[in-house]
Amino acid sequence: MNPSNPPQAAEYGGDEVSAIVLDPGYATTRAGFAGEDAPKSLIPTYYGKYNADGQEKLIYGDDIFVTPRPGLSIHNPINKDGIVEDWDMAEKVWEHSFTSRLTGTKPGNPFQNGLNDIPSEELPTEMEVESDEKPLSDSPLLMTEPGWNPTKAREKTIEIAMEKWDTPAFYLARTGVLAAFASGKASALVVDIGASNISITPIHDGMILKRGVQHSPLGGDYISSQINALFKSNSPQPITITPHYLISAKAAVEAGQTPQAKYKTFPADKAPDASYRALLEERTLGEFKECVVQVWPGPTRLSALGPTGVSNEDMARTSPGRPFEFPDGYNQVFGVERFRVVESLFDAKAAIPDPESSFAPPTPAQTIPELVKASLAGVDVDIRPHLLANVVVTGGSSLLYGFTDRLNHELMQMFPGPRVRVTAPGNTSERRFGSWIGGSILASLGTFHQMWISKKEYEEHGPNIVEKRCK
Amino acid sequence: MAAAADVRDMLDLPAEGQPRPHKKQKVVEKRPEGITRELYALLGERAPPIAINENKYKGRPKWMNKLRVRPWSMAPFTNNARSDGLVLHHWQRKHESARPPVAAPAPEGSQMEVDQPKEEAKDDAPKPSEQEYAFAKYNIKPRLPQRYTDEDYARHLKSEDWSREETDYLVDLVTEYDIRWVVIADRYDYQPPMDTEPDANAIVPAKQFRTMEQMKARYYYVAATMLSLEHPPSEMSEAEFELHEKMLKFDPDRERDRKELAALQLNRTADEVREEAMLLEELKRITSNEQSFITERRELYSRLEVPISVGNTTMYQSSAGLSQLLQTLLQADKSKKRRSILGDGAIPSPAGQTPTHAGGLGRAETPVTQAANKKGSMASRDTQQNVRTLTPAEEARYGVQHHERVTAGVNFRSDRAQRLTQAKSNVQTQKLASALSELEIPVRLFMPTERVCKDFEKLIQSVNLLLDARKVSEKVESEIRVLEAAKAERERKYREAAGIPEPEHPHPQVKTEAEDGDAVVLDSSAGSAQAQSTNENPATQGHAHGAEGNHKRSASVLSGASESNKRQRR
Repeated sequence: MNPSNPPQAAEYGGDEVSAIVLDPGYATTRAGFAGEDAPKSLIPTYYGKYNADGQEKLIYGDDIFVTPRPGLSIHNPINKDGIVEDWDMAEKVWEHSFTSRLTGTKPGNPFQNGLNDIPSEELPTEMEVESDEKPLSDSPLLMTEPGWNPTKAREKTIEIAMEKWDTPAFYLARTGVLAAFASGKASALVVDIGASNISITPIHDGMILKRGVQHSPLGGDYISSQINALFKSNSPQPITITPHYLISAKAAVEAGQTPQAKYKTFPADKAPDASYRALLEERTLGEFKECVVQVWPGPTRLSALGPTGVSNEDMARTSPGRPFEFPDGYNQVFGVERFRVVESLFDAKAAIPDPESSFAPPTPAQTIPELVKASLAGVDVDIRPHLLANVVVTGGSSLLYGFTDRLNHELMQMFPGPRVRVTAPGNTSERRFGSWIGGSILASLGTFHQMWISKKEYEEHGPNIVEKRCK
Repeated sequence: MAAAADVRDMLDLPAEGQPRPHKKQKVVEKRPEGITRELYALLGERAPPIAINENKYKGRPKWMNKLRVRPWSMAPFTNNARSDGLVLHHWQRKHESARPPVAAPAPEGSQMEVDQPKEEAKDDAPKPSEQEYAFAKYNIKPRLPQRYTDEDYARHLKSEDWSREETDYLVDLVTEYDIRWVVIADRYDYQPPMDTEPDANAIVPAKQFRTMEQMKARYYYVAATMLSLEHPPSEMSEAEFELHEKMLKFDPDRERDRKELAALQLNRTADEVREEAMLLEELKRITSNEQSFITERRELYSRLEVPISVGNTTMYQSSAGLSQLLQTLLQADKSKKRRSILGDGAIPSPAGQTPTHAGGLGRAETPVTQAANKKGSMASRDTQQNVRTLTPAEEARYGVQHHERVTAGVNFRSDRAQRLTQAKSNVQTQKLASALSELEIPVRLFMPTERVCKDFEKLIQSVNLLLDARKVSEKVESEIRVLEAAKAERERKYREAAGIPEPEHPHPQVKTEAEDGDAVVLDSSAGSAQAQSTNENPATQGHAHGAEGNHKRSASVLSGASESNKRQRR
């Protein structure tokens, strides 16, 4: 279609009402205007807390990475299960996500913006201006939630949106449904590989099937813990990650040699909290995941024998390794280990044991194939083939190299009869922001505007309306 | 300049300086606008190597200037699909001045009045546009039968298994999820009311898991009942009646069995799937082969029904005839009229393309094809010999034949068999045909295999032999009869002369073929004698006729034969 032609009225169902879509996740919070193709505002859900001048200060957004302030500690308002724990801070982080980039600063009161300053004695006292300007008073808000969000959390969410942010209309949609919408499907089996959780959500006609929703903690953070376990048991020497902020200079060294770097040291009273270091280590690990880690493409497991009779591990060994350089200059080529760190997503026995890790060793029921199986067992048999033919992969951790191939093989092996079709957008941002994009599509549809919970309805029915309307 | 002057010198042309300055003058006048006159003069008489062209912003075409700008505005709107009158804002083309904002309140509908107070509460925002929201029309709900009343329930819908409360819950859920059973079954979570009365608790079973089939059965029963209460089945429209029937006939057990089967089908192992795929592939192969077999067989049959061509090839023996044939062939090729000899759209066979038929000519072959055929057959024989020799049993099995002499071209076995039934004379042909029909053998063989043809050939030979034998025997018999008649005549005359009464005479001996010479001699006298007897004594003739009554046909044949005999004699 020629882009200069207006779309046909019959096929264009959009009607944009400048709604804001807010997709809070465990690692990042995405916000943007509905109708756009990527979130304008992407901030970490983590926030920093430190004391300065005797009072507690908070920092949000990308600023948390930048300065190792004394005593800076990093927190996350969302717990490992993906449910909000600290509502006050969640509200602040979310608010920052859209006020920093989207709603911006309103034109201030002309009396206070400094341009019309008049001597203070002349200021009329009755001109006291109400200062509680609410940030969202002219944008409808679409928020997302995981499929297993408890009722209390949902009610709390609408309460914040309506009372604290004063949004005229609100809707709470499930991430799974939105990810399916982003791939243009109303019925799908959504495999969401997030930072703290992996979840399988069966969707029928745009509604989740609650009995089929499955989730387990084998997300991106779990993979990080596996990589840490691998580093501890590394063969020439255990690898420790030293984040960039602790290094003042480094020299190039040969692969596998001890790093030659000058380290920064912070005196005990100036040093940031351990959680800050963990956050920055996590950044390096993220880089490692992007550059090195690879999912064994299948069709059989890494520990199994390949079709030629050679074990898959030996096959993996023959493929060239991938080098990685750590912030302190240490570098090494990673061979078959790079497959092992993610193998436990599919095969619980392949997990690298690490007693110090905060993650318990995975059970077979937590692996992706078993989750899919359990999820399908929870839905009606008639729609199972259809769901298998519409598997949607989303979530940032699903970008692991070779992940979709492996998933496809695992599903085909588990269900040799029906047709299995895995849909995964190739575009990185479409994969990372799948649920946000779905929300953007949904909130800009003309037919959707009858679904909003308006302020009036909220005032009439109370927060419980969210259970009735956002099903 | 100097070069030009030299050239003029050499060619004895007058040195003309005049026209050039004149031209320069012109160029100066055409000086581009962007350059001042002084600057341009500095360029001297040499034109700049780069053309100076002005890059001017073209702007919009002139006709566009007449168009008016159609502004957009952030306009509020309400959605009729909502009951709460939520006002949202979107960008909208501003209406032309046909409806000035001052006139807006006048045509305002009554429904807008409802929204009015809320808007005032905010600020005096412009009113939502009067036209209906375009997407409101997509707000549709499935039509469900009306809800039962208490009385209806008590009279028609009571059930052992389902309490009133649970039925209410189910119908609510169905309405809420628009009969999406998958979702309904997923969300179904009925909590029996915790009554204080102990009886109620005893009646209502503790939380019970309902399958989708149970829910469907209950709901369909309720809906069908309500539908028939609305309209008795006799008054229903066709669609309604169909729906009613469908809902009444819902069988939860069968549905459950079906789902069990579906689950089994879904959870097949890889081996089972592979086996099924293999079987399906096999089936496909068989059916496709069957199809091709059928078409081949049909082609064969239709080929058998081709009328036998009765032309001859003599006209193509000369070179002129051959060239004519070539012409016909080319023409037939050109016109591409592939008239199939298979009447009903069967695959055009190569035989169908032979021009001999199309041209209505006899079965003639071009020399080229003859040669090709010969070569092909030779080649095939060579390869056969090279490969291996077959035992007679195998030869019979594979239908391998060795020909003494391979005739040119293609011919049908049935044709050869047919030719056997054609005797030299028409009479003989008729006789053969009658003999075959007596034996109930069709003139055209049904299945002219090699063996059948051989047997047919043998049969025809023996029929011919028998016919010959009969002919001879009839001839001999007739001669005997004539001679006997002559002898009787003679004896009668003799007796008349002697006056002796008639004695009984033994029959004379039948003559053998060896006495043929005598028979011929006798025949001449017999001929005259017969002529006499036919003329003089019809009674005797009649007697002879009557004696041979059961061989009537043979008798007529006999007489015909004797006549032809006589003709030959003369």
